[in-house]
This record gives sequence, structure tokens and C-alpha cells, in this order.
Amino acid sequence: MTSAASLRDLARTFGPKRLLTGEADLAAYSYDGALDRSSPDAVVLARSEGDVRRAVAWCAANGVPIVARGAGTNLSGGCIPLKGGVILSLARMTRILDVDTAAATACAEPGVVNLHLQEALERAGCFYAPDPASSKVCTLGGNIAENAGGPRCLKYGTTTNHVVAIEVVMPDGESARFSIDDEGPDMLGLMVGAEGTLGVVTRAWVKILPLPAQIATILVGFPSIESSIRCVSAIIAAGIVPRVLEALDKMTVESVEAYKPAGYPKAEAVLLIELDGVKGRVDEEAAVVERLCRRHGAQEYRRATDAAERERLWEGRRGAYAAVARIAPNVLVEDGVVPRGKLPEAYDRVRQIADAHQAKVAMLFHAGDGNLHPNIAFDERNAEETRRVKRAGFEILRACVELGGSLSGEHGIGSDKRAAMAWLFSPETIALFRRLKAAFDPQGLCNPEKVIPLPSEEDAARELRPARRPLTAAAQELAAKMRDAAATGARVLVAGAGTRHAAAAAPGDVILATTALKSIVELDRSNYTLTVEAGVEPKVLKAQLLDKGFHLPLPAAGGTLGGFLATKAWAGVRDHVLGMRVLLASGEHVDLGGKVVKNVSGYDVPKALIGSWGAFGVIVEVTLKLHAAPLSIPAEPPAPRPFTPDRWHRKLKSAFDPQNRLNAWVFGR
Amino acid sequence: MTETLGKLRTDLGDRSAYDAASQCNRCGYCEQACPTYVVTGDEGKSARGRNQLVRLMLENKLKDPKSVQDALATCLLCGACTTVCYAHVPTADLVLEGRRALRASEPVPVLMKVLGELVERRPRLLAVLLKGANILKRLGVSRLASRTHVLRLLGMAGLEEAERHVEEAPLSFLGERLRRDPELAPSADARWAYFAPCGPNYLYPRVGEATTYVLKKTAGPGTFLDNPCCGLLFYNYGDLEAARRMARRNIENYEERADGLPVWGDCSSCVAHLKTYPQMFLDDAGWRARAEAFAKNVKDAAEMSSSAVPPPAPRAPTSDPRGCTYTYHDSCRARNGEGIVAQPRLLMKTMCGDGYRELPEAGWCCGGAGAFAFTQPELSDEILKRKIANIAKTQAQVVATSSTSCLIQIARGLKKYYSECRVVHVSELLADELRANRYGTPTRP
Repeated sequence: MTSAASLRDLARTFGPKRLLTGEADLAAYSYDGALDRSSPDAVVLARSEGDVRRAVAWCAANGVPIVARGAGTNLSGGCIPLKGGVILSLARMTRILDVDTAAATACAEPGVVNLHLQEALERAGCFYAPDPASSKVCTLGGNIAENAGGPRCLKYGTTTNHVVAIEVVMPDGESARFSIDDEGPDMLGLMVGAEGTLGVVTRAWVKILPLPAQIATILVGFPSIESSIRCVSAIIAAGIVPRVLEALDKMTVESVEAYKPAGYPKAEAVLLIELDGVKGRVDEEAAVVERLCRRHGAQEYRRATDAAERERLWEGRRGAYAAVARIAPNVLVEDGVVPRGKLPEAYDRVRQIADAHQAKVAMLFHAGDGNLHPNIAFDERNAEETRRVKRAGFEILRACVELGGSLSGEHGIGSDKRAAMAWLFSPETIALFRRLKAAFDPQGLCNPEKVIPLPSEEDAARELRPARRPLTAAAQELAAKMRDAAATGARVLVAGAGTRHAAAAAPGDVILATTALKSIVELDRSNYTLTVEAGVEPKVLKAQLLDKGFHLPLPAAGGTLGGFLATKAWAGVRDHVLGMRVLLASGEHVDLGGKVVKNVSGYDVPKALIGSWGAFGVIVEVTLKLHAAPLSIPAEPPAPRPFTPDRWHRKLKSAFDPQNRLNAWVFGR
Repeated sequence: MTETLGKLRTDLGDRSAYDAASQCNRCGYCEQACPTYVVTGDEGKSARGRNQLVRLMLENKLKDPKSVQDALATCLLCGACTTVCYAHVPTADLVLEGRRALRASEPVPVLMKVLGELVERRPRLLAVLLKGANILKRLGVSRLASRTHVLRLLGMAGLEEAERHVEEAPLSFLGERLRRDPELAPSADARWAYFAPCGPNYLYPRVGEATTYVLKKTAGPGTFLDNPCCGLLFYNYGDLEAARRMARRNIENYEERADGLPVWGDCSSCVAHLKTYPQMFLDDAGWRARAEAFAKNVKDAAEMSSSAVPPPAPRAPTSDPRGCTYTYHDSCRARNGEGIVAQPRLLMKTMCGDGYRELPEAGWCCGGAGAFAFTQPELSDEILKRKIANIAKTQAQVVATSSTSCLIQIARGLKKYYSECRVVHVSELLADELRANRYGTPTRP
């Protein structure tokens, strides 16, 4: 708790109008869009980067927790001040500073409302791709903290794919700037989706895209969820990536029709599909989509021909949450994600779970990327009902984890799913998350007790964790070598094929060669993902996959895949890596990310490994996104040069390898 | 002592105030609709914040319930939040309930007591006093009063502020004028009735004259209800029992003089209140039925393009004969309280042809909001500036609206920030059209 005397100190800095401490003021910052409540001790209404710096530095100096907050529409308890302290409201930092169509970027402050940015860009003929459902009110800063998605992210990717640089006030009160053009480990990628636990974004540069020339909106009814999802897979397999691919189940459609009739098909499943691009191409794709829909048993197929009709087709989808929100005061919106092909199974599991807990669930999916939103209406004032619904929510998440998916596609972990993180990740991985957090925020003041499970929660979850896939034989050998080195304190030189860099081993160094890691672990054809060992040669892999009809989004490079990633030979690779298995200096291994295309569970550590030059860990497996159509990828890029570590890289290093035993030359002996 | 309603009429049926407040699931989708949140960025001044604070009050979870005073006092009661809310949580009603609960422990302020007494029991004395004040204002005494802060010294700072906002000072009130009009005397032939809200009555008789002129020309013979105040003053700032008494008097008056006829009024705040009379009688079956019968016949002058008053024939798009540009500002109570959006626009477009421009953020409150402009002058001014900036974007010379509070506030804002434009009631434009016999004339030279 913060003492009154020290608050007076803060009041001198901000004045009574920008430092709120009244009981009602604090109560108004005790909640977000989720269920938890906890009051802060003070609220700072920041107007500038300087304000943010002063507030964060004051908290760091006084050991006071601080939670940054935008519009507070978070659905996972992300901006609840669980430990009291200061709420740092960024809602008044609302300037759009620059729209540069030539450089295809816009620069804005964190309090800018997503829709306001969209409106400003529209006037310049552009758009910003992430479009969370709350876009009318949610802020850019919140979107970055949560790595927000939205219907359009199937085609365009989530927030992390659209932020090109940020200015951040780090937990110690220092300002930093991270960009995709930075050399070395991708700090930007780690900060996006960190839920405000690693710093406070004060300014962001985002990618902007030209508005598409044509948009086709299509509404289709299917006789079953299964047939609708098979159709979705067929569309993706045909090389068509719709800008929107939303599915609604019968219960959702029925509740919409009961509230505000939108004339949706009376079918078991309804798909809302939207294609965009240049004019002729959209019509061609629409023709293919129509054929595929009919082949998969479409009962009703409608295509909008003008803007007004497009709006009408969207009405039912837009009204879906509204309709459920009227049934009872509260709505639990789950956000699990599974490999696309597992959606029908996930759907059945959700139905069974809901029945077992007497919960009425209406289902919405971002079907293209396997993200499902079961909506359960309830009244939080009924404790018994709330327990049942929460229980159902937890079981739904467990089902997603068991099906090879993840806890959250776009809403974040916050405090709500913190405990569930222990089912998804191994103790070693969670320990790594903890070390990363502590490296940047040793006092644990920045949005405390979020994302990472508490030790007690971790213990409770132990039996619930599905068994991990064992290391391959080749990886086991490396792990054994690593453990031995750890035991003796020997330094380790991680080497791939030596194509991009040939570091000289110092006397006594253990050499760890990854070239024996050659196998394809899993090719998931319906999900369009590949898990492969890091010793394969990208060029060879690319050719193998092409034979099977898949496009690997990498240059036809030589050397090892692991080396390609560790040296960040092509910075664009960051948008295609979904997960990694990494051998740590201790000999333990961690599984990071996953095999779903949309995943905001935990820190995006794979990004920090890209460009780490083997100084953080040994990449032994990589999970990559595949495509049905070729992408524009550069030819083999020139050999990259090692980076010069900065203080933030050193903090990362301290979380991975504090004794500097891995590729010691990178950080200097 | 102030009691609370306890039970509210919501979009989901009659609900206890607690159930209505709990229906807010904190999604926050109302935030950008709430002018005071947009201006301050303070959650406590957002609709969601107010719902939560009222809920905490009802749950007795606040150590110091008075700490919500500021959050509740700064609510415009514009209802824009309810319009965008999926479950249509009635935030304005909840805020009023919260204010009533806070007032329960406080003595009634002197100003409210005096004003209440005058409005409810001594309307003629009120008229005499107001006229006296208007004469003084015309003589320039009010400037003197404002310089010497006489009103503030008398403990009436709010009145001093109010006085400064009002530009017009009529010497004869609408009621007197209409009472003298033989065409509006009670008659069996009457096909409509006119309800004179306090605004048009005491401040803008020209508005009421315009409305009755239009009704006479387009809807046949009608009658003037010679009504007392609608009671909104008591409902919002005083005690509910007084508000109920005013409602009963108005219903009785209507039943006596014009039972079954449509009742037209031309201040949307007042009209919207008349339409919600039943909410005050939810547990009183007899009065509830009478209030419902009355309320369903109430019409806002802003909806005069409805079937009761046929819309004028569209003019060829040769723009306005006066070469003016027009725009329309929604009174919050018309838009969010009564759901009137399309009708006045249809009317404006048919009257003004391509001289009509849609006002950006037309549904954003002007900051007038009854006494808000006097009680929260700084916030009100911030909100007003945005409104005037939007009016300036349309380059309109005339902005039409439908409630007294908007007329006062926008006139003040235009004078201060954009004097090329003036504000009128939509009835006045329509009356002009009729007087100039332009109504329905297809083209103009």
C-alpha cells in the first residue's frame, strides 16, 4: 500500500486535477471488462511522455506498483490493480502525430482510439489492419499491450505484425525506443503483447495499408459446424485468404434473430466471408468460394453487391454479442484457440462442457485462425452460477490446450487465465517467463501478478498439464551435452552449418552442433503449420514442401534453419514463426509459442530468440506458418553481421544465461 | 427529504434500480459516446463509471457515498450512452436515482425551495418576477448585478450564472399570448392540443407561436392546454413527490381539456419527460394507466414530419431561396430519450434542399443540459466548443434544434465562437416556410 505522505509527494508533481485519490475516483479504476475488482491508491491522468516517465520513475523509487490503462475494455483483468498502487491512465494521450502514406506508417500516442486512427487513415485512403470488436472505444496502447486481433487478422495478422516501432518507458523510468529495424534480439516483438508488465508504451509507429479497391461480402448457411469448417479449410487450401472468415452457430443466430432480426439463414452454422483486393481478382476468388461452399453443402449463399447490402450481412455478426448481453447482465467471452482442423472437435467439447455445467453457450468463431469465442450469459451476483460458468470457462480452455491449442487468441491472459498458463507451459518455461519479467522489472511493480501464474497456482495445475512431446533423439544428445557443460561450468559454442558465421572456439569450449537436427516433427496439413528441427537447410525444406503443395515463407537460404533465425538473416521471418523449442544453458528445454496462428498466451519469446546469435539458447525446433499460395519473399539475403548488445539485450541475456556460457563472444567475454 | 424511484422502466422491462445498474457488464462500449469522458478522459466521468458507482452506492459498499457527488453531478443526462449500449442500461435514470439518494440526507437548497414554490404554487408570481427581471435586464441592470455580484451575495451564484446565459428577455409570455388567441380556445373541433413548456413560455415565446402557427396551418383546429410546468425541474433537481404532483396536474388538465388528442410540445427535454411520466407511477396501477394514456399521445415538435403534419413537398435541389446553409443539432432528449432522428432530418432536407448539411457528431450534447451549463461551467464550455467547431465545419448560417436548453447554450456558444451563425427552433423554420407560402412550392425564382 502507498502511504498518504508519499502520495502527497506525487500530488505535488501532478496537482489535484491529474492525481485522483477520492474513494469514488479509485472505485472507478477498480475494474475493466472482466470480473475482478481491486482499487488503486491513486490515479494519474497522464498527458505526455514526460508524465509517464515521472509517474513510473516515482513508483520505481518508492516501490509502488503501477498499472497502465487505456480505455479499460480488457476482457482478461489486464488493467486491474491487483496490488493497489498507481493507475496510470493514458486515455488523454490522444494525439495522432503523423500519417505518412509514402513510408506507409502512422505515428500515434497510446490513448488514440482504434477507430479514430482508422478514420484519420481513411481520409488518406489507408487503413490499419487490427480491428478488435471494441475498436470504437479501445486504444492503440491497449491493443499493443494485448497484441489485439479482430476479424481481419486472418489475412493481415495481429497487432504485433503491424507495429513497426514504439517508444516505451521501462519499469525503471528510463525511456527506450524499439523498432523492427533494430539489430539483434527483437525487443519490439517481446514488448508487444506483454500486457504492460515490461513497460509502458508512450508512442507507436504502425504500418498502414492502402484501402482495398474492392470488398466482397458473402453469407452462407451450412447444415453442420463440421461442414462449415471443412469448407473454411478448403478455401484456405485453394490459396484464398479472406479478410474475414467468421462462423456463428445456431444458438448465436437464434439469439440475434430474437433480438434484432437480421434475416440470417436458419442453419446449424453460418459463415460470413469477406474477400478484398483488386477488382477482377476478388470476383474470381468469390466464384471459387461459391463453388467450394456449394460443394460442402451450403444451404444458402448470398453475396452483397453494394455497401448497404454489405452492412446488412454484417448486422447479424455485429449483433451477436449484443444479443447475448441482453439475456443476462454478464457475458463470459472465452477466447481459446485450436489448430483450425480441430475446430469441430473443439465445438463438440465446448457443447458438452456447457451442458455439464448447465450453461447456455452461444458460439462465435474467427474460423480461419481457429479462434473460438464461446459466449456464456450469467449474473455475477449469483455466486453459484458464476462459479459454474467460470468452471465451464476453465474446462473449455483445458479442452483447447488438450487439442494442441492455446489459452487466448486475442484477449490476453491478465489475471483471469493466469492460473491456466501452468497447464499450457512447462515449469521450465514459466520459470523463464519469471526471469524475463524480473530482468526488466526486478521489483515486480509493473502490472504485478499478471500473465505469469503465482507459485500456488502452478502447483495446483501440475496434474492438469498434458504430457509433453519428448525431445527427439538428436535433441536429447544435445541436451545431455548441455547438461554436462552446465555441471562443469564450461562455455558452449553453438554452431549450425557455419554458413553465416564461423565463430572460433576458445580452448575448453564445448561445441554444440545442430546439424544433426534434421527431422520434420509434424506437418499439419489442415492447419497449414509445420514443426521441424532446426538443423534442416531452409532451401531443401522449401523444395520438399513445395512438392507437397505448401509454400514455406522463407528465402531459399543455405545453412541451418536455426542459424537463419538466430542470425536474423531476414527480419521478415518474425511474422512467420509461431513457436520454438529451445534448449537453455541449464540443459532444460522450453516450448514457446505454439502451433496456432493467433496466440497471445505469455511473452512472445521466440521473437527475442530471432537475432540472438545463439547467446540465449539453442533453437532445436521451429513451428512455421505455411501457405497455399506463394508469398513475395526475398531471395537469399546477404550474410548478417553480429549485433552490438545494448542494455536491454543485456537484461535479456541475464534472464537466459546470466553466466554468459552460451556463445560468450556475442556479449563479450 | 428526497425519496428514490426504486424501480425503473428499462428496455428489458421494469427493473429495480439495482438490477438495472447490474445490467452494465463494464464492456465500456459507451465511453466514446459520453461527452464528459471524452473531454476529461476520466473513467469516473464516463457512463460505465457512473453505472458502477451507483451500483456500489446501492450495494452500500462505499465508505463515503458522498464521494460519488462529482461523478454524478457531472453527468449531462444526455443518454447517448444508453443509445449505444447493447442492453440499453438507463444510465441517466440511474444517475438521477443516485443524486436523489445523496440528496436524501441533505436539506433542500434555498434556491430550489424558492423556485419550487414559485413553479408549483405561484406561477403567476413567478411570471411577474421574471418580467421584472427582464425589464431590469433590458435596462442594463443585469450587467450591473453581474458586476456587483448581488445574486452571489444573496447565495444565488447559480442564478447569476444562469442570468448571464440568457440573451432574450421577452416582456409578454407565451401563455398570456396564447390564452388571448380565440383560435386556441377549448373547442369540440380541436384535433390537437399544444403544451407550452417553460422554455418557450418564459424565454422564447416566438418558438411556441411558431409551433402553434404550424399546427394550425397543417393539422386543423387545436387548443392550448394552458398547462403548468411539466415537473422536470423537480424530477431532476427536487423531490419526486413534487414531480408526481405536477404530472398528476398535467394529466388531469389534459383529460379535462383535450382527452385523446395528440399533445404537441416544443422543448424536447420537457416533451421527453412527459413521455416518461409512467415511470413515476410504476406501482400505482390507476395513475400508471392514466400516465400511459397521456404519454402515448405526446408528440415532439421535432417529429412534425410524421403523419400528423405531412412533410412539405420536396423542392427542386436549387438550394434555399435565401441562399443559406442549414444544419441540425439533435437535442439529446429527442435523440436518445425519444428516438427521434430521421424525422427532423427529413423535414430539414425538404425545407432546405441542398442547403442542408448534416452536422458532424450531431448527437453529441451541446453541454446545455438544463442547469448543467450553470453548475459545471468549465465542462459545459469544453463540450460546447466541440459542438460549435462542428457547426463551423458545416459553414451553416442557421442551426436548427428542438429544445430550450440547446437554444440557450448554442446561442451563447455561437455568439462567443462563431457569430456568423444563429440558432433557431425547427418550428420557427417551418413556420417561416408556411408564412412565406414556400411550403410545398416546387421551385423558386
